[in-house]
Amino acid sequence: MSDPHQPRWDHNAETQLTSRQRLDRTARHLLPSVFTALVIIFFSAPVTIPGAAELLPAIVINTIFFWSVWRPSGMPSLAVFLLGLFMDLVGFTPLGVSAFILLLVHGIGNYARFGLMRLNFLLVWCLFGLVGAAAAALQWALACLFRLHLLDPAPAFFEALLCIGVYPLLSATFSWFLHILDEKDTP
Amino acid sequence: MVPVSIQVRQALSKLVLPVLLLMSVGIIIAGQADRPLADRARMRVADVLAPFWNLLSRTQTDSERLVHGLKEARNLSEENHRLSVENANLRRWYEVAVSLARENDALKTELHWVPEPTPAFVTGRVVADSGGIYARAVLLVAGTSSGVQTGNIALAANGLAGRVTEVGAHAARILLITDIASRLPVELESSHATAIMVGDNSPLPRLLYYSQDTRPIEGERVVTSDQAGAFPSGIPIGSVHYLHPGQPVVQPFARLDRLTMLRVFDFGQSEIEPPEAPGHVPLTRPHRALTLPFKTLLGPGQEG
Repeated sequence: MSDPHQPRWDHNAETQLTSRQRLDRTARHLLPSVFTALVIIFFSAPVTIPGAAELLPAIVINTIFFWSVWRPSGMPSLAVFLLGLFMDLVGFTPLGVSAFILLLVHGIGNYARFGLMRLNFLLVWCLFGLVGAAAAALQWALACLFRLHLLDPAPAFFEALLCIGVYPLLSATFSWFLHILDEKDTP
Repeated sequence: MVPVSIQVRQALSKLVLPVLLLMSVGIIIAGQADRPLADRARMRVADVLAPFWNLLSRTQTDSERLVHGLKEARNLSEENHRLSVENANLRRWYEVAVSLARENDALKTELHWVPEPTPAFVTGRVVADSGGIYARAVLLVAGTSSGVQTGNIALAANGLAGRVTEVGAHAARILLITDIASRLPVELESSHATAIMVGDNSPLPRLLYYSQDTRPIEGERVVTSDQAGAFPSGIPIGSVHYLHPGQPVVQPFARLDRLTMLRVFDFGQSEIEPPEAPGHVPLTRPHRALTLPFKTLLGPGQEG
């Protein structure tokens, strides 16, 4: 699994980039991570959004999966790890659990990206649904393990459903965004 | 950047994910092993993020307020209409009240009515009682320097609260009507029958010694009676409630568990001296009154 974005980079030799271009590129690479971090800050704030506790992991898993599949340069493993750790620090999950789960999602997305890219949207959505459900189940199982007694699985179900339900919306938004970025990239 | 060959770089990039996964497992174990450390880290992050969260929640409350304001603005004409109708109604009542007051004045003039003195009152803040012999008593920040005297009557916003029992220069202790030491002559408003209201340290003082042919009715208002001369008549206390059949209690109008302010009234009751009636032998003498009943309880020849 070589870095797929490598060819696009290589023909722009780095030495020829102006500082403005470099800044632009950096911003472009950081964008998904920054977006996710902002989402985490927003949802962990004491605002009364119904289902915020379940919506946050759903959105984060969606974002990471999408960018891992379609543009891994925007979502490197290290960023995923840091985002997961940040989510744990801000929320109430045991430290490291979200990082672990998000890295797994990222790994799956990255590993299967060439297969997924060829499929149509509905199939990708179905496969992502499996990933999201597995992530929610894993989170629930780990939480049970650390608290040493069986927790109510209803929030995990809710989270999995939200995860699946939010995907088309976020996917459409990100695709549109990628389209704009690519248009700007090729004058 | 350190110059490395493409192969090495690819190998390294493949290694990143497993290494990070292992690190997160390590963090999970470390976090479980040393919980205080994890909590400290959480707190530090929360400290940094607190201003952002504050901003977010403030924005949210602001926008909620805006939405609320808009909703209210939509109902404004409706509300205006309702208020103007109510205002017209109240104006009518105002006219009625004015005419009744005038009529009352006229009738009093006809009768050569002796006007009642307006009671003087002071208002003080209630501070919790730190000690004393009573279980249900409060301390009021108003004392002899502001004219409070023992025996004055303390009223809460909508009913009797208690009586002043001790006065200092800047504080007064008020025995609440719920205290076990409190016994007040009261009057049942609809039947004008008298009774004694006895506190028992519970929030609902009991009614005792009412006459058997005029029993208190559930929901009836209870007001003070001027029988013993301690209270002017007609100060609202509460309403009758039956906890069990045959056990009437009074639900005080004043919220005695959360008193914040009390008004202490001086009705000048002690100044009303009944004129001497010729041939009338006073029943009690101040000093012998206490000793007499105990002596009579003992049998003859048992004294000393």
